[in-house]
Amino acid sequence: MGWIGFAARLLVGGVWIVAGALKLPDLDASVRAVRAYQLLPEAVVPAIGYALPVVEVAIGVMLVLGLLVRFNAVVSAVLFLAFVVGIASAWARGLQIDCGCFGGGGYDANATEKYPWEIARDLGLLFASLWLVRRPRTRWALDNRLVYDGTSERTMTGDPTR
Amino acid sequence: MSKKQSKATKQANMQRASERAAAIRAEHERKERRSRALVVAASVVAVLLVVVAIAWGLQQGGSGEGQTSNPPDNVVDEYALAIGADDAPVTVTVYEDLMCPYCGLFEQVSSQRLKEYAESGDVQVRYHVVSFLDGQSSDRYSTRAANAIGVVLDTAGPEAAVEFHDALFANQPEEGGSGLSDEQMIDLAVEAGADEEAIAGPIEDLKFEPWVEDATDAWSKAGFTGTPTVTVNDEKVEFESAEDLLANTEQAIEEALKN
Repeated sequence: MGWIGFAARLLVGGVWIVAGALKLPDLDASVRAVRAYQLLPEAVVPAIGYALPVVEVAIGVMLVLGLLVRFNAVVSAVLFLAFVVGIASAWARGLQIDCGCFGGGGYDANATEKYPWEIARDLGLLFASLWLVRRPRTRWALDNRLVYDGTSERTMTGDPTR
Repeated sequence: MSKKQSKATKQANMQRASERAAAIRAEHERKERRSRALVVAASVVAVLLVVVAIAWGLQQGGSGEGQTSNPPDNVVDEYALAIGADDAPVTVTVYEDLMCPYCGLFEQVSSQRLKEYAESGDVQVRYHVVSFLDGQSSDRYSTRAANAIGVVLDTAGPEAAVEFHDALFANQPEEGGSGLSDEQMIDLAVEAGADEEAIAGPIEDLKFEPWVEDATDAWSKAGFTGTPTVTVNDEKVEFESAEDLLANTEQAIEEALKN
């Protein structure tokens, strides 16, 4: 089981690192991408736009390192849920916007064709995050040294045959 | 009797000893847990700090945040270069990015027609240049071109600025490559009627970059997400193609003139 969690950490964490890193060079674009959803009040749009890429890279790095896996998996799941809701709502309202998932954002003439695939991808990553919330003890994680007292995930899962 | 008592005492002693050992162990674990919590907290803070530092380092150019953006002279409605009378009954605003190919296409079909409207006195045409496509060129052409337009507007007035703007679109670079160089832009600006000595410095130093950022912000905050966007008396014109956009714009102008 620890291997599945390890793979989930690399997958979800890797996606967060890439998604966040692509946005970091142009935070103003990130703000505009958030604004384009027309969901949040203008008072919070700049803060969310600036913070999101930083948070994304941070939880990505921590998931890959296996640091505070459960906590970061919860944050990850909440964000993916928010993105699914955001994209679905943009689709439902007939907005034609690039999701801004990996940088970019704003008007996109082909947006409607991309929405289903983007939602499916985020649901998959949401599922992987929830797996880690359920089973945060994984192979090759800093948590095993720092949080779980040096015991390997095999003894921690209480497998009686070991 | 005595045997029994000694057994009880032994048991009590053993219990006391194991309690003491447990207490020591618990104390030890508490300390361990605390130091581990510290290491975890420090690691999390370290990750966040590194990411924030990288984000800080990656920011291109000086951010205009908090900086007062000094708009160029001759600007209309804070961010536009305009042709046509200030008191014209209809206002057409064209939002465009110098790097946007569709804007170039729209310019090809609309430029002449909109000039005629401006000359008739019925319409003031405002070009509101934004820069959100810096990622499409290797040298931030969006921002550099918008700044150059601000410089020409500032030093040579709106007619020269609009002519320069037309020339930039006529010489629009391909997406993904490098934009026009500063020298090329200066040459085009001089052809449009600007004074080389007055414009060279501000074009190279991106004098109006904060203003360009604010212009982009204003466009985004107005609810627009793409370019070209055209409004007629602040009403957005819908479209499917560049020809469409001009036809619908003309229709909206005629309707506005009737009222």
